Amino acid sequence: MGHNLTFGWSGKIGRITLGATRAEGGTRKKSYSIGGGTTLPFLESDPSSAAPLVALEICDDPEYWSPIVKNYCGNLVENTASWAQTAEKIYGADLIRLYLTSTRQRNFSDIASLGKTIESVLRSTELPLIIEGSNEPRIDSEVFQMCGETAQGERILLGTAEADRYRSIAAAALAYNHSVIAQSPIDVNLAKQLNILLREIGLPRDHIVIDPYTGALGYGFEYSFSAMERIRFSALKGDADLSMPMISSAIDSLAIKEVREAEPSLQDSMAVQWEFYTGMAAAVAGAEIICVRHPKTVIMLKNAFESIRNGAGFQEVKQDGTQGA
Amino acid sequence: MALKALDIYKLLPKKNCKECGDPTCLTFAMKLAGGKADVDLCPYLEDEAKSILGATTRPPIRLVKIGVGERSFAVGEEFVLYRHDKTFYHPPGILFKVSDTLTPEEICAATIRVRDEIFTRIGSDLRFNGIAIANASGSPEVFARAVATVEENADLPLVLMTEKTEALNAALVQVGSYQPLIHAATTENFREMCAVAKKHNCPMVIKAHGIDNLAALAKDCQSEGVKKLVMDICPQSLGDYIATATAIRQLAITRAVPDLGYPVFLDAGCLCFQDAAIALGIVKYASVIITPPLNQASSKAALTLRQNIYTDPQKPIQMNPGLYRVGTPGKDAPVLVTVNFSLTFFTLQGYLESSRVPCFMLIIDTEGLSVLTAVAAGKFNETLVRDSVKKFDAENEVSHKILIIPGYAAPLSGRIEEATGWKVMVGPRDAAEIGEYLHEVWSKSTTVL
Ligand code: B12
Ligand code: SF4
Repeated sequence: MGHNLTFGWSGKIGRITLGATRAEGGTRKKSYSIGGGTTLPFLESDPSSAAPLVALEICDDPEYWSPIVKNYCGNLVENTASWAQTAEKIYGADLIRLYLTSTRQRNFSDIASLGKTIESVLRSTELPLIIEGSNEPRIDSEVFQMCGETAQGERILLGTAEADRYRSIAAAALAYNHSVIAQSPIDVNLAKQLNILLREIGLPRDHIVIDPYTGALGYGFEYSFSAMERIRFSALKGDADLSMPMISSAIDSLAIKEVREAEPSLQDSMAVQWEFYTGMAAAVAGAEIICVRHPKTVIMLKNAFESIRNGAGFQEVKQDGTQGA
Repeated sequence: MALKALDIYKLLPKKNCKECGDPTCLTFAMKLAGGKADVDLCPYLEDEAKSILGATTRPPIRLVKIGVGERSFAVGEEFVLYRHDKTFYHPPGILFKVSDTLTPEEICAATIRVRDEIFTRIGSDLRFNGIAIANASGSPEVFARAVATVEENADLPLVLMTEKTEALNAALVQVGSYQPLIHAATTENFREMCAVAKKHNCPMVIKAHGIDNLAALAKDCQSEGVKKLVMDICPQSLGDYIATATAIRQLAITRAVPDLGYPVFLDAGCLCFQDAAIALGIVKYASVIITPPLNQASSKAALTLRQNIYTDPQKPIQMNPGLYRVGTPGKDAPVLVTVNFSLTFFTLQGYLESSRVPCFMLIIDTEGLSVLTAVAAGKFNETLVRDSVKKFDAENEVSHKILIIPGYAAPLSGRIEEATGWKVMVGPRDAAEIGEYLHEVWSKSTTVL
């Protein structure tokens, strides 16, 4: 075929490293280097370009979690460490994204317990981690400090910085050499502004992952898809303040009407397909970390990405329409 | 190179006969200049003029209509590589594929699903588009019978999948005048296939691997007189699909290779990655996607993704602002304020209908923004609510002065009360709880009044 699909771009997506192996000063069994792209996703001629990573989202207080996941996982969700271990060993995730939902309890103040949770998760899995701290500004500083310190050396990805709430998280990332998720609501310019703010307080570009906010499929995804495409272009056209890899998490997926109100027997497959179609499309638009909550979505996405990249997957369809060997 | 409208006009017959669908030759010329029409629409054009106009005036990707009647659909006529550059115009047709070796009952079941299933989202009916029948048996009779089974059950656009003209002809006896899509012409069989396609005036898929081969085959079929073409790029993998489809779209819209200016066909029927193929096809340029019948979950996700990708990114689907009725509300019925983003409107309306409490919905003009977005952007505000209450004459429709506002608009409640003089009740955030709210909170509040 040989058609040139680089479109004459000169820019490049910046690289960022997630996780640290023993040799790199951490305890993970592997670390990932994402980014580096020079054209649109999956059109890279460089065969070593990485496939998007799939992260399974878990939490330390399941009260705030989707009943669909709780039904599927059963008691597992009561034990954060085993949940993380299962995510690695059974569900096949590349990354684990731990939400410290316990901080959402009214007047939460037991910061020390968060440290214990993080430690236990770090012990139970060898995968690189994404940790979502509080979403309560009052305790941000202590929570992020605790996350940063406990995971020192592990090069975690810390979430989530927003335009009016980024200082404590950036401080923790800087102090302990972690990276930060920078979230802005579905807009190229807002994404850029936040990256500039983060850089101004000293966070290097290779410590930032852009989260352009993914609206659930059918509930804003049409905007998110284009926002991601546009961020990718800006980077390829040479805008260094938008050249960080992107993360996509359509958090609302399990709460939208079509999934929530599906018949009980269909609820799992509805949740999985909703996440799967969103994840596929987000990856095509440029997201390099795809986060999901239903365990079954993980392997589906991983297989699909692998098959896009290494050419396997399409079975020969014979002339008569049957599947060939 | 694009021609100017006047240059084009000079080449037209100047009969002003309207047969092209335009009132005059000049307006037709203007459309051609804008790449919005096809020279073939004018039956009186000289061959020479045609060849001059040819690929420079027609849309960079030709419009191809599949099927006849209510369920027919058109694909192609796209202009951009990325939807944010403009928009994508013609959503891909997604068709269920059946093999002629299935039992009539199985064929029938798939057909009836496509015929009857409707998934309504935001006021639009989302449906699959037709049936593709594969000649797996190799027998013309069996193929014809399978096609007849589909045809007896529904008037749906069809894809006839066989590379043998004998089987094709047998099937076309049944459905020849319904413009089924023929699949497929190859470098080996294209002359015979073109003859059949021409005879029945059917759109036809050409099938080859590699863009050079496809362009050459398209050219050959054109010279045989078949212009309604669709291209099956025979991807060898999902990755091959994305790369080839992207290259074709780019070469076509820039008119670098006009012979690639046709819609793309994708057979997603690979067992393990069917959903992945469909998702990729939807976001990356497929115009006709065929797949074995999908289960409910995949169906809804695929149709919703298609709806999302094919909405105009510049303008959210909006409702006209106004006072809408749910059921037949009386003077004491509640008035619920919401925004004119159609997703919000239909979500709320759905829950209101199932609550069985007749009521009014006061739709304010937030320029198509959802509640939370509009509140964040300052587009949902007390002045707008006040003006809307007046404009739509809410005062004369009900005997009370109470507005229910969305939970997400709670911070505005005081200001709305002040501006409108109406009492404000803050409803739940999630519309799913509105039924309970009306039954419990609203009904109590009115007994007090
Ligand atoms: C898609 C989207 C957009 C799209 C616009 C979509 C649209 N047409 O509105 C775009 C990309 C343009 C956009 C822009 C912005 N967005 Co925006 N957007 C979203 C997103 C992802 C989904 C919105 C949506 O479609 N929701 C679905 C509809 C159905 O929800 P809804 O209208 O609220 O209706 C529900 C309820 O309110 C209720 N309800 C509705 N009516 C009524 C009435 C009554 C009486 C009752 C009781 C209930 C009720 O029922 C519905 C179902 O439960 C949300 C995140 C989210 N998950 O909500 C962010 C979000 C709303 N956006 C946000 C922001 C900040 C913005 C911007 C202001 C950013 C900026 N500074 O530019 C802009 C503003 C736009 C502008 N023109 O200036 C923030 C809001 C933060 C906040 N809490 O205030 C959000 C939450 C994202 C985030 N976490 O940062 N956005
Ligand atoms: S059909 Fe041809 S001759 Fe008739 S009005 Fe149209 S362009 Fe003119």
